[in-house]
Amino acid sequence: MLEVRLTSKDILDRPAAAADLMDRQWAPCRYNCPVHADVRAYLEHIAQGQWRQAVDVIRRNLPLAAVCGRVCHHPCEANCRRSDVDSAVAIRELKRFVSELQGAAGATVYRPTSQDKAAVAIVGGGPAGLAAALELAKRGYRPTVFERFARAGGIPATAIPEYRLPRNVVAVDVEWILAHGVELVTGLMVGKDKTIEGLRKDGFQAVLIATGLSSGRSLPLSGAPCEGVLGALEFLTDLGMGKRPRLGQDVLVIGGGNVAVDAARSSVRLGASRVRMMCLETREEMPAFEWEQREAEEEGIAFIHRRGPVEVATANGRISGIRARRVTRVFDDNKRFDPRYDDGDIIDVPCDTILIAIGQAPDYGFLQGSALRVDSRGRLEYDPATCQTSAPSVFACGEIVTPPGSVVEACASGQRAAQAMDLYLSGKPIELDDSLPPFIGAIPSETAGKVRKAVRQPVAAQPPQIRRSNLDEVDHNYTESAALREARRCMSCGAGAEVLIDKCAACLTCLRVCPFDIPVVTDVARIDSDRCQSCGICIAECPANAIVSRSRERGWIVRRTAAAMKDLDPAALRIVVYLCGHIASAAQWRGGDPLAQGAAEVYLPSLSALSTLDMLQAFDNGADAVLVVTPQEAAERYPHAVNRLRKRVAQARRLLKDIGLKKSRIQLFELTRPGRSAIEETLASAVADLRGGTVKPIGAAP
Amino acid sequence: MIVGERKPMDEILAMLEPHRRVLVLACGGCVTVCLTGGEKQADELAALLRLAARKKRRPLTVDVDCITRQCDREFTANLKCNPADYDAVLSIACGVGVGFMSELYPATPFLPGLNTTFYGASTAKGIWQEYCYGCGDCLLAWTGGVCPIARCSKSLVNGACGGTNDGKCEVSREMDCAWHLIYKRLEAAGRLEELRKVRPPRDWRLDRGGGARRLTHEELTDEEVRK
Repeated sequence: MLEVRLTSKDILDRPAAAADLMDRQWAPCRYNCPVHADVRAYLEHIAQGQWRQAVDVIRRNLPLAAVCGRVCHHPCEANCRRSDVDSAVAIRELKRFVSELQGAAGATVYRPTSQDKAAVAIVGGGPAGLAAALELAKRGYRPTVFERFARAGGIPATAIPEYRLPRNVVAVDVEWILAHGVELVTGLMVGKDKTIEGLRKDGFQAVLIATGLSSGRSLPLSGAPCEGVLGALEFLTDLGMGKRPRLGQDVLVIGGGNVAVDAARSSVRLGASRVRMMCLETREEMPAFEWEQREAEEEGIAFIHRRGPVEVATANGRISGIRARRVTRVFDDNKRFDPRYDDGDIIDVPCDTILIAIGQAPDYGFLQGSALRVDSRGRLEYDPATCQTSAPSVFACGEIVTPPGSVVEACASGQRAAQAMDLYLSGKPIELDDSLPPFIGAIPSETAGKVRKAVRQPVAAQPPQIRRSNLDEVDHNYTESAALREARRCMSCGAGAEVLIDKCAACLTCLRVCPFDIPVVTDVARIDSDRCQSCGICIAECPANAIVSRSRERGWIVRRTAAAMKDLDPAALRIVVYLCGHIASAAQWRGGDPLAQGAAEVYLPSLSALSTLDMLQAFDNGADAVLVVTPQEAAERYPHAVNRLRKRVAQARRLLKDIGLKKSRIQLFELTRPGRSAIEETLASAVADLRGGTVKPIGAAP
Repeated sequence: MIVGERKPMDEILAMLEPHRRVLVLACGGCVTVCLTGGEKQADELAALLRLAARKKRRPLTVDVDCITRQCDREFTANLKCNPADYDAVLSIACGVGVGFMSELYPATPFLPGLNTTFYGASTAKGIWQEYCYGCGDCLLAWTGGVCPIARCSKSLVNGACGGTNDGKCEVSREMDCAWHLIYKRLEAAGRLEELRKVRPPRDWRLDRGGGARRLTHEELTDEEVRK
């Protein structure tokens, strides 16, 4: 049975005991994130303008935070429970906002004091290799990344078009990773300039292959190759490395994935007068993201669905078009790729340039001069359980050994390989624990109906006619105010209340105060984590201290208060201000600047959790007055929370009066207008009144 | 359940005046349910006591503990703080708890932080109402479930007095006349003949008249204890 016991006396002395609760169940955003970034935690920081803390939480799990802010396939958003209330939180956009705002210097570097463990070589400086290198550096190893191109970052740094991912954004992540003591050697191709054996002779005790899928798959077309038929990946890489590949005026891209869309949209930007995409799939079957397809269409790109190329037609030594047959199906009944064609239905599609984007393949050049084995199909031999190749000290990760995926999936693969290498180099058996805590379920509709609606903040985009003509970014970043508003939409799923059943007296208070009607009291109170909205009201009201938060240590408000009071002048009137961190409006927000001279500010995500006891304990810990600043009921994220707060403030004032202290030592301010200046004005006058002599320090000599 | 209300702070502060080391002891039973004697209230009271001491610039150490019930010996095994280590224990259990704990820890003064007020039920959020007096001779069977002992200001058993007024008691306009309620309840149930029956006099020895009362379950009792 779970026992979290903390009485007021030891809240400040004893280490918190609720940590095991936190990982009991994850929110689906975190669970479905391949690196399991603590989305809820970083959104809460963003919602309160704590940019640095937010980016630190992101980077704890996700080394390529800035890159993923631009190009992540965001399974977090796809699984966001807010979708059942209105629409998913724009998690990727928020990640982009905060990681680009902070840059590399604005994120904390966790370089261990000593990095004296083994030297390890990482072959390939893409997402998987960089993530592995970072993880190894954090564990005290000395990783060196060998990258064949002139810069690290892999596909994001070379082949993803700049209009989607500018190079300086990739550089933010690379710079931050290198700051952890990761060595980078560029322009060196393992297998050509140096062999894996050579690396080992150079003193690297383990090697990690992270070369990814670096070549485009070709298509066995009669008539090709000839001038005007290009691989899309090579085309995009050339473009990414600053070259201007020569295109004709009438471009046909073959393929239906994201690389195909990138190639088509880049062709538009290079001035092709007609760009079309031809793929086997219907629109619904296409693997390219829906928003990519939409943006491509907006830029004038047409789609030819359900057509498979047969041969390239040429005239006068140049391409004149492609012959294509009708596709009758793409996948078999088991959803495996198994296209069938109708050879009686063939059309000619005129074009002068063909870009082939039908998938990517590994480049096994690194095998040159090594004894690593390949399997019967020519693939690198690899044990997914240990990440080892046929040589025990040579490991592999990323798309060279996993199915093709996104940047964040590559990071997860790299981190896992780093763990395996750490075990290997420590002489321990390689046993990787891939188990995860369960995640909370869907939000029932009756609960979803009680959650206050909040519109998703739109992202401004360049109009298609402008973005067609250049390689500039398509989307604009959030403004501060939009980022704050958007982050405040997070419902803190899974961070809610947990009943300590050995303490519960079945008094029904939780059931009576919950604004969402969630607690059920049978033998004791039961609070369903799928439904709990994490407002903390029941925790504040429970007379038995029998409810704790899954996301916060018991006594967190007392601790935060004590921390905020540290800098107060012990001789002066000590004022504590509790503020809803969600009401300071954006543009004026400068998180951390003191509001009212000499007052200790304590920001909480909502004051719904601030209890009578918290206010009394502020006094108990040395305060002489407590000011509470809340938005009005309609602006508060939880229904009825302001009403409850009013009652608690009134109760605390009565209790103070009972021991002969003026009620004015506790004051509640319900702001009628949002914004930092409103808070500042309110507090300035309240603090001036208090300091003006309406109250004296408690216990001061008469 | 037993309902208690916190004593006025002046009285509590006066009780604790001579003491420098105090334990506030909560009870996880009835008084937690009526939001006066739970662990959270003990924490609040402890904070207030320390604050009052700070105001008067006098030293005072206050700790907090809570057990499931203060009216059963076995739960004292769960105490985290030893009462013997304190000058006094301020118990915010009902009087039963204070009295029982005083017997278990005779060397330490157990002081009542609550006034135990009645046996009641929660009639609305945050409101508890007296329903029973513990008279030892229950007559709810023929009063339509309304107790005249607990709810009539005079504990009359033979009908309303002259102070009944539009269904309210002359003692307070806020208070229902119990006999008015009884009449209306029985009338609605078509059982007014219950009131025409002649009842034998009540045995008041079962109430406080016979001194302190005791319940013995012979089947559970050890021989030596029964003596």
